[in-house]
Amino acid sequence: MEPLNFFWEEAKSWDELVEKCRTLWLDPAGSTVRAWKQQHPGEKAIGCFPVYTPQELLVAAGCLPVSLFGGRGQVEIDHADSHIQSFVCSIARSTLELGLAGHIDWLDGFVVPSICDVARNLSGIWQHNFPKGFVLYLHLPQNVDSAAAGTYYRGELERLRDSLATLTGRPVSDEAVRRAIRVYNRNRALLAELFERRAARPAQWPVVHVYALAAAGNLLPRQEHNRLLERALVLGDANLCPQRDVVRVALRGAFCEQPPLELLEVLEEAGCAVVDDDLQIGARFFLAPVAEAGDPLMALADAYRHRTVLTPVNNPGRRSRSDDLLRRCQEKALQGIIFASPKFCEPALYDSVLLKRALEGAGLPVLEFEYEEKMTVFETVRMQAETFVESILFFSER
Amino acid sequence: MSYSVGIDVGARMTRALLLDGHGRVQGRAIRETGARLELAAQQVLEDLCGNYRVSRPEIVYIASTGYGRYRVPFRQIQITEMSCHAVGALWLFPRTRTVLDIGAMNSRALRIAPTGRVEAFRMNDRCASGAGRFLERVARSLELELEEVGELSLRSQDPQPISSICAVLAESEVINHVTAGKSVEDILRGAHNSIGERLVALVRQVGAHPEITLTGGVTKNRGMVRALEERLGVQLNVSPHSDYAGALGAALLARQRWLRLQESAARGRLQSCEGAQTAFGPSP
Repeated sequence: MEPLNFFWEEAKSWDELVEKCRTLWLDPAGSTVRAWKQQHPGEKAIGCFPVYTPQELLVAAGCLPVSLFGGRGQVEIDHADSHIQSFVCSIARSTLELGLAGHIDWLDGFVVPSICDVARNLSGIWQHNFPKGFVLYLHLPQNVDSAAAGTYYRGELERLRDSLATLTGRPVSDEAVRRAIRVYNRNRALLAELFERRAARPAQWPVVHVYALAAAGNLLPRQEHNRLLERALVLGDANLCPQRDVVRVALRGAFCEQPPLELLEVLEEAGCAVVDDDLQIGARFFLAPVAEAGDPLMALADAYRHRTVLTPVNNPGRRSRSDDLLRRCQEKALQGIIFASPKFCEPALYDSVLLKRALEGAGLPVLEFEYEEKMTVFETVRMQAETFVESILFFSER
Repeated sequence: MSYSVGIDVGARMTRALLLDGHGRVQGRAIRETGARLELAAQQVLEDLCGNYRVSRPEIVYIASTGYGRYRVPFRQIQITEMSCHAVGALWLFPRTRTVLDIGAMNSRALRIAPTGRVEAFRMNDRCASGAGRFLERVARSLELELEEVGELSLRSQDPQPISSICAVLAESEVINHVTAGKSVEDILRGAHNSIGERLVALVRQVGAHPEITLTGGVTKNRGMVRALEERLGVQLNVSPHSDYAGALGAALLARQRWLRLQESAARGRLQSCEGAQTAFGPSP
């Protein structure tokens, strides 16, 4: 077994760094996690469903959080179909497949936030099939504007903290949680910087490159990912790519199950500069740093209630998802919006109907299609994207 | 002078067309595409620069189209064949409402709005039936040059049927006709009729609204034009430049885009937009 390779320290070029991150991401069996466990005997690697898992608590408990994004198109569904219907999103089925087929036998537990029916059922199925493992279904407050929501969610966070303490046999101190919050605040700041640079100069920071850098964080200790991102920001400044004429678009729908990398490449090639998106949003779902002083659990609860990125799987409270998207369109001079939803993702599909109505009312062009994990043919998407771009560039007033 | 260039990287030929700052056609170039698409594109660009005394920095915007449009590394944008042929056809014949583009690998019928916007389109199936490659195979099996088959077909007295929609199987039918002693002219007429029927079906699917303009490399083939006119019962628009319609449309759209970016920049909008930077600075 290879030890955990700190490849970002030796990467000489942007392309080399990106390629290694891409390889890391396309390894759903998580060889880096296996290496980490070898280097940290007795420590736990805990899987997380991608959105709204407070990974800070896992790190504070001395665990390695690993976001489980399914098979990334690398895994054949063999066992999972006998447990989950085929009309359920790919991420749930292939995540279960990874477990049942033994690909991620390094996994010591699974935290599933209550984001949708499928997530809820997956946690139950997981518990049933891995009775010796640690599984925690984390309830999220529905009415975030209620004063009780903070106390309620803090209680849930405390339940998670206590469960982790029982699992590891070590108490989880407030100071350890604050330290983890600092690491994650830094990570979110670096990711924000990366995505902002991309929005300003999309040709220099290709979407699939930025994506691979962000996605690698799901399989690395977060402080190491911070070092990787610091290196990436230096190398990316020197990256030169041919400049093309593009339309500036937002991409929505990929908050949980991620699109195939080829799909992002096809969109970019077709002339869509994705400058606002919800890709890998699970690693950047707080809009502002979490308070690093005071009660750390309440700080996390407050951040969730008031400073969370809006996705189809949280309650916006007094905020409005459509107003939020329209404001971003204005701020970033967006020329169109692409709704790319995972097949069978009900929250994404429900939400897109309402958002589309608001956008069309504001005269913003919309393109909509679905993707799935094992998608291999992208020509239809390419043609749709090309037509979308041409309609904006040549036949509209935008 | 600021020039715009359209490059149509087709399955058989690569064509480029140069527009000056006033939107006038200044020159054109053509090369066989071959297997190295980037090279063909580079060569037609160099041909334009060399033949029409244009320096590379004077070319401010390049749009590529055709099946190899993504293989032009120095493009500012790639545009689908549909949009380019629609715009190119409309420039050649301003009353065009239907376009039939017959290329080597693909044929497509377009219904277009007076603005050039594509309202509907249909394309031939994935095999080469109904496209130039079909005629190429027929020409080869009769030991003829592609350029002569159209004229020869016009001399037919007794056209022979070719029923197969597959270019490969059609070749066997041609051989059967040859062994049965049928004349080359009659066999060729049959091949043109066979393609004509498939193309007319495409045109009818988008409405066949007059005027109908032919574009693409196969428009050089008079026999093909005749076969289509007989079946549609109308005279079709064909220009000596119809085979350049794709490159022309790309160049026109390139110019349109360049002007728009200049206007936007002048108005102070899109300052941070990549497109504006692209248009005002050479690509690295």
